[in-house]
Amino acid sequence: MIKRREWTRRELLRSSAVAAGSLMMSGAAGPLAFAAGSDTIRVGVIGCGGRGSEAAKNCSESSPGVKIVALADAFGDRLQGLKKSFGVPDDRCFVGLDAYKQVLALPDVNLVILATPPGFRPVHLAAAIQAGKNVFMEKPVCVCPAGYKVVVEASEQALQKKLAIVCGTQRRHQAIYVETMKRIHDGAIGDIVSAQCYWNMGALWVNQRKPGQGDVDWQIRNWLYFTWLSGDHIVEQHVHNIDVVNWAFQDAQPETIHGLGGRQWRTGPEYGNIFDHFGVEFIYPNDVRTISMCRQIDRTTDNVSERIVGTKGVCRPDQGLIQGEHAWSYKSPGQEVDPYVQEHTDLIKSIRDGKPLNEGKRIADSTLCAVMGRESAYSRQQFKRAWFLTRCTLDLVPPADLKLSDAKPVPAFAVPGVYQLAGWTPEERAPKAKGKGKKKGA
Amino acid sequence: MSSQLNNGISGTSAGAAGATAAVLGQMAHAQGSDRIRVGMLGCGGRGNGAIRNCLEADPGVQIIALADLFESQVKRTRDGLMAGEQTKDRVKINDDHLYWGFDCHEKLAKCEADLLLMATTPAFRGRQLMAAIKAGKHVFTEKPVATDVAGCKEVMEAAALAKEKNLAIVAGTQRRHQTSYVETMQRVHDGAIGELVGGQCYWFGGGIWFNGVPEGSPMSEIEWQVRNWYHFAWLSGDQICEQHIHNIDVMNWCFNGPPARFTAVGGRGWRSFNQEQIKTAKDVCRHFNNGSEDNWEKYNGDIWDHIYAEFEYPNGARCLSFSGHSPGTGRNGEKIVGTKGTSNCSGSITGENAWSFPGRGIDPMVQEHKDLIASIRSGQPLNEGQRVAESTLTAIAARIAAYTGRTFTWKWLMSTSKQELVPRDIKSGPGLFHPIATGRDELV
Repeated sequence: MIKRREWTRRELLRSSAVAAGSLMMSGAAGPLAFAAGSDTIRVGVIGCGGRGSEAAKNCSESSPGVKIVALADAFGDRLQGLKKSFGVPDDRCFVGLDAYKQVLALPDVNLVILATPPGFRPVHLAAAIQAGKNVFMEKPVCVCPAGYKVVVEASEQALQKKLAIVCGTQRRHQAIYVETMKRIHDGAIGDIVSAQCYWNMGALWVNQRKPGQGDVDWQIRNWLYFTWLSGDHIVEQHVHNIDVVNWAFQDAQPETIHGLGGRQWRTGPEYGNIFDHFGVEFIYPNDVRTISMCRQIDRTTDNVSERIVGTKGVCRPDQGLIQGEHAWSYKSPGQEVDPYVQEHTDLIKSIRDGKPLNEGKRIADSTLCAVMGRESAYSRQQFKRAWFLTRCTLDLVPPADLKLSDAKPVPAFAVPGVYQLAGWTPEERAPKAKGKGKKKGA
Repeated sequence: MSSQLNNGISGTSAGAAGATAAVLGQMAHAQGSDRIRVGMLGCGGRGNGAIRNCLEADPGVQIIALADLFESQVKRTRDGLMAGEQTKDRVKINDDHLYWGFDCHEKLAKCEADLLLMATTPAFRGRQLMAAIKAGKHVFTEKPVATDVAGCKEVMEAAALAKEKNLAIVAGTQRRHQTSYVETMQRVHDGAIGELVGGQCYWFGGGIWFNGVPEGSPMSEIEWQVRNWYHFAWLSGDQICEQHIHNIDVMNWCFNGPPARFTAVGGRGWRSFNQEQIKTAKDVCRHFNNGSEDNWEKYNGDIWDHIYAEFEYPNGARCLSFSGHSPGTGRNGEKIVGTKGTSNCSGSITGENAWSFPGRGIDPMVQEHKDLIASIRSGQPLNEGQRVAESTLTAIAARIAAYTGRTFTWKWLMSTSKQELVPRDIKSGPGLFHPIATGRDELV
């Protein structure tokens, strides 16, 4: 796999500072850093594709006094929808890979929605916090450990600057999950001894390459299928379920990761270099082992859910169901609130109350779990989270001067057993399990 | 019944030859000097190991017949036994008791052996077992015992017949005969870790041999396939069936039966990129195709190199099965999780009733033969046929779930699945090649 290391974490933050250099906002943020003291939430949307457009609508519906005032996208055609819907003037619509900088430079924008392909998220988040903006960002939030560190550092800065960061892991804002998790944390199922989570589904959209289309241009338009952009589907989709399991563990993180995966059905060139299935074992503290399974193959059995197993019962948070000693089921209040709207309601309320939510670290951790699962599956190596954070040198963060016209051959997909885990040395190999039994046929 | 058993065990004294089953069971076999005539089916690496395990298990064991697909294997095995200091006095194999060819198991079943050891490729186990039981032989069978659903059902039928005929079937899932496992499982079943709510089992290994065609060998294409059986799912059942069954069997042991529902993902990555293996596959291709390398891929095998499966047991517990091959990795073992503790199934229990196995290890691969022979002598033959067929089918089910991408139940598998991969009539000739499974194959 081609590795580029143009950006270190420090460099990224420096460069974000440059981007935001002309602003008065940095450091002067806080709950009342709204434009001219008004209560209006003035939103800039960075990444106006399907999810960004939906998020913008969800955000504007979520609370009174929300205006979509600026747009950025790599592609001019992609922001036309929002431009029309919200009547955003031409001089506030920015196009290109640098367009995010122009939105962040607008002093009246006090909230940005970051919804570009996840590979760009660390850079965009760091720049947004540097520029003093509150942030709603889509999941996942990074695709590699280098990006994780940028997100964590930006989240710490946001804390200091009292800026909000809410993330599009909407289950955290969905009543059925929230109510169920409260009970798990109150001990309704006892100590957690096992858990399972799944995103087994069919395939998603594909944007075929057009004649003459440049490498980067096509890959960004077809971003799901390139690890440097999406993180692979375990990161891009399954992070939702992994996040729920982390939530059940009160955000304790797995200590050891061992994954399997491959590219078995979906092998065409339009599917870039990602896998079509993963199975990962996450081992949480106290040797609690969990199942994580995800698949993107059409016409296979669907299952998107989570299940938490305790010493006193079993819980299905996706169904709001607890079985066992403290059996319980979620009673809907009647009209369920759309969690995709609720997450914005919670965000904006937190900003207005001067108690900004900051979910940055939490979603970075869940994203990192998925990234670790992917790298373990790519390499077939079992490793510790501590190793991954301190020694893994994988850095997929796009270079600062990336251009749509750049040549960028599609990286080869990982062949387990051949793929080298970045930073892995033989002496770091996880201790082998005790050899038991005979070696029949071996 | 007694006539069959007369044919089963023969004492050293002339008087014992005509004894009834009941008498046989109670009497002088206890002295340990009574002869048990053993025939061996499958003279590969494991078969040779099993013969030695069996000889070590009991002084009355005498090897009297050998059978294998290949004449060379049979003769080499006899020569090896005759040359071994430990074995030479306990082997009495006449030339007319050496059998080879695709029908060798039928010939072997007709000889006067009391006990047959079976260690051929698992694909043919069902029919071989059935022939042996019909002929009144006790059987030690290596695991797994089939590669498809039909094969498992045939073993289940043979096991039922063996029960009727009071014949023993012991399987080479040796953990069932390993004291550290046996004592731990007793405690688990007695509730030491509470209700079972989860578990994990693993067999991840570094890789496996790949056999080419020996120079000058007249073997046909299908004979080469059988020689290289591990790499074809219809012959080995894939790695999950061939190796990981050990750990899966322990999971089933914990729950006293097979899972109710199966979900799995998996694929073939590294095996298709293993340069050494590819080179051999191309050699084989040229050998059978007048020097042409066209379609060499089919000779590279069709098994996958990883399967990640979830077993849902009847009580709702979901367990992980993690298996495969790739360079530089190794993981093997089991863990069972209960509401009051956990166990590694083999000597350690944590939690409220923490315990660790105080005993010394024994060689379970000898012990399984000791238990088998003791059971024959006591007239209460062990019959593990149904159980090992269930564990084999559990592994096969996980493979099918992974190959098809479909979730299904045990009930469906037993009542509806039509899967049959192994032809009834196998003859020397062209090979039987299937495409590599796609992850959404048709569910049969």
